Amino acid sequence: MPTEKELQISPLVPDSILHNSRTLVNLQSLTASLFGVAAGILGLESYSGFLFYLAFSLLTTALFYFVRVAPASPFASSTPAQKTGLFDTSRYFHSPIAFWTGGLGNGLAGYILTWTLFYGLVRA
Amino acid sequence: MTWISKSITVVGGVLLAHACYSAQEHSALQSFKATASTLTSSPPTAASLPIDIAIETIIALLVVIFGLVLGTRPMRPIQWHVWAGKLEREGEEGFLDSEGEVNRDYVGNPFRSLETRPGFIDIRKQRKEFAAWVKNGGGQVSQ
Repeated sequence: MPTEKELQISPLVPDSILHNSRTLVNLQSLTASLFGVAAGILGLESYSGFLFYLAFSLLTTALFYFVRVAPASPFASSTPAQKTGLFDTSRYFHSPIAFWTGGLGNGLAGYILTWTLFYGLVRA
Repeated sequence: MTWISKSITVVGGVLLAHACYSAQEHSALQSFKATASTLTSSPPTAASLPIDIAIETIIALLVVIFGLVLGTRPMRPIQWHVWAGKLEREGEEGFLDSEGEVNRDYVGNPFRSLETRPGFIDIRKQRKEFAAWVKNGGGQVSQ
């Protein structure tokens, strides 16, 4: 968390923070339900099911990063003075850990719901 | 959501539904064969889903993810100075959502009320700007 002094020197826009995080959480919740459908179809069991969720959730976040966040971040700009790391999300998100892993807990419930539902439906 | 992201998502959804239906029919067929065969046959093993249904599921999932990610709205910068710079440069156009309309929670210039205080109007500058705008062909009303 930035200190209050840092916030006074370079303030943040709460409206943008809200918009960005809401978009990401909506996407992750929606795709978590779809992952559950696929996991039910494939007939995945305990550990492999959760690994499936984790892997595809991270894949979705990475794809979201490459489509929405990276093109406008300073990494893409040509001035060398602004080049940051390859996975820099600071322009649009508060903290990188929250960006990559924040939606996992939220989507897990929806994932398990549709997973058990479709497992039961498809296995007759 | 733009129309192209919607169409990609729908295509992926159709593929996923097709894979689901195929898997359901496959498992129904397997259980039917198991009950139709003699009682001495071994109980049905764990689901042996055909590989093409599995591949179709994975591909459908990837297509749907791609379509949904394309349909997300553009991100807004969170640092105040970047946001304010973008607001000044692009005005409203920088904050359109995917249908081309300004977002409902678009705030605009936060200092607009300060900048347009009546006691601080520079009327000569505004007259010059208006004259330049008219000269550039703005506001011509055809009869």
